[in-house]
Amino acid sequence: MRFMSLAVKNLLRRPMRSVLTVVGVGLAVAVTVSLSGFILGYKHAINESIDKLGFQVMIMAKGCPYEAATMMLKGGTGLLYLPEDVYDQVRKDPAVESITPVFIGVAEKEAGGIAETASTSFTIVTGIEAATFAAMKPWLALATGPGYDGGRWFLPDAEDEIVMGYEAATYEQRKVGDAFYLSIVPSGRTEPVMRTFKVTGVLARTGSQDDGTVFMPYRTAQKVFGRPGRLTIVGIKLKDFAGPMVAEFSERWVKLPEVQVVGLEQVKSTLVMLVSAAQVMLSAVAVIAVIVATIGVVNTILMSVYERTGEIGIMKAIGASRSDVFQLIWLETLAVCALGAVAGCAAAFLGSRLVERGILALLDIGIHGSIVRITPTVLGAAVAGTIVVGFFAGLYPAWRAASMRPVEAIREGIE
Amino acid sequence: MNLAAGDVIIMARGLKRYYQRGIETVKALDGVDMDLRIGEMVSILGPSGSGKTTLVNLLSCLDAPTGGTLKVAGREVLGLPEDELAGVRRGVMGFVFQKFYLLPTLTVAENVELPLLFCRRAADRAATMAVLGQVGLEDRASHFPRELSGGQMQRVAIARALVIEPRILIADEPTGNLDSQNGEAIFALFRSLVTSRALTLVVTTHNLALGYRSDRVLILQDGRIVKEEPGRPAPPTC
Repeated sequence: MRFMSLAVKNLLRRPMRSVLTVVGVGLAVAVTVSLSGFILGYKHAINESIDKLGFQVMIMAKGCPYEAATMMLKGGTGLLYLPEDVYDQVRKDPAVESITPVFIGVAEKEAGGIAETASTSFTIVTGIEAATFAAMKPWLALATGPGYDGGRWFLPDAEDEIVMGYEAATYEQRKVGDAFYLSIVPSGRTEPVMRTFKVTGVLARTGSQDDGTVFMPYRTAQKVFGRPGRLTIVGIKLKDFAGPMVAEFSERWVKLPEVQVVGLEQVKSTLVMLVSAAQVMLSAVAVIAVIVATIGVVNTILMSVYERTGEIGIMKAIGASRSDVFQLIWLETLAVCALGAVAGCAAAFLGSRLVERGILALLDIGIHGSIVRITPTVLGAAVAGTIVVGFFAGLYPAWRAASMRPVEAIREGIE
Repeated sequence: MNLAAGDVIIMARGLKRYYQRGIETVKALDGVDMDLRIGEMVSILGPSGSGKTTLVNLLSCLDAPTGGTLKVAGREVLGLPEDELAGVRRGVMGFVFQKFYLLPTLTVAENVELPLLFCRRAADRAATMAVLGQVGLEDRASHFPRELSGGQMQRVAIARALVIEPRILIADEPTGNLDSQNGEAIFALFRSLVTSRALTLVVTTHNLALGYRSDRVLILQDGRIVKEEPGRPAPPTC
């Protein structure tokens, strides 16, 4: 028999109390791991989502650049437009490697998808120049397989052709060659106009907001939405994205009236900084949970020591030194914390999908992909941190037990 | 320790133990002289408060005397700190108390082997079974204390005291929680162990009949030995 096995067996004397203490530690660890995973995942998802826009710089109508970026990530209403000739001017800039015009509108569609309800819903319509848009996003590809074979991008001047994002097509149960109906309220009018389009292609899943989008030629989009000569954004990749080139580029074009130049790296770093600020508050929640759990552990072990006063006296009588008793009680504390850490990590890991669904259901944060990332580093840090906390939590109860004089301990046990 | 049967293993001269309770000094033990020899069984009798447990605590180095001389196996223990007293006890003394203090989550065999853990000696299951055999419980090795009677639990406690092969066995009111039949059995077991292992056994008890089963009887009153008599040991039955 070794000290560790004796310590674990001592915990079985009051199994319910030990279990509850382990659960307390486990809850604190699960909260800490889940919050850490959420922070990590959210930062990663922001980076990935913005990278999947494909642009490095956007030129858009004047307003809040972060609201504009969020609009690009989520799609949304309240859009502002800029004149198309901005595109014509900027494309001549020698710093530009590639450029693409984008028009975004919001249309109603008749429900006919999987839900099969009679209510209407909205869809994001993105008008693009297919060739330059696809060049910006080399990962875009047309889906293949039953119902998707033979798909193609629409012709530049086609007025009734669309390409659907993967999730949009799946939800609407549309395949290549099917008809798709949109109800659009053109600018300056109040009554919707029903338009019929033919699905010429469906995109393979990208894991970005493009999956939920309906694409059409941007000139067609301008026409059906009643905004000829207007664009929502101009997406740009520069030849040299490093150093002063971006700042110089921005300075040149910010002088245009009604437009702003938004560098997406700046947006990314600001959003990440906001998350970091939230991280401080979330960390406070985790710290409180850990403190409460630690108090629970100390209380449990101290109660156990007081209940076993006579027994500790006997152990000293039969040869246990102060350090033996100290080690035994301290190992009991570490065992509780280690078990709680493992249980908490397992609960956080297994429940991470539930946590993610809950967050996405409660908050429309415009991020696609997984937002909870529980990595081996997070788990390892949680276990190590819990054991360190247990190291300190066990010091007082262990010292208390080791300091008992055997005669007094045995006498107290008899009384 | 090179001692033979009949040699003095514990020697006390003028042994004192005083306690301070506020301004009052309580003289729990007030000058005790005694020798304990290898292979003898000594009973310490006396009314409550006479100092029996105090004397036994000092002889077993669980407590330190206030004055006098106390030598265990030739080593003076007066003034030793607690850790050194533990060193004197370790491997030399075994203990049996009124409350059995068996760990409820350990089996009988594991409870018996517990002192070996603290003495940093490897457990030898064969030796453990042999000790359990001596107390008549070898068939209960895998049972837990809750499955035993009071008398059986006290015998496990005795086996636990014996596993380190002590030279001295200290028993403080070992039959206090047992009925008369079990008490008789325990004292008979003590007798046989003293004979078979050449142990020195010191036992305190309120039971006069059992107490006189020893080789010698010391009667304590007000912290002093007031009478010393030979006992009337019954022949060993197990």
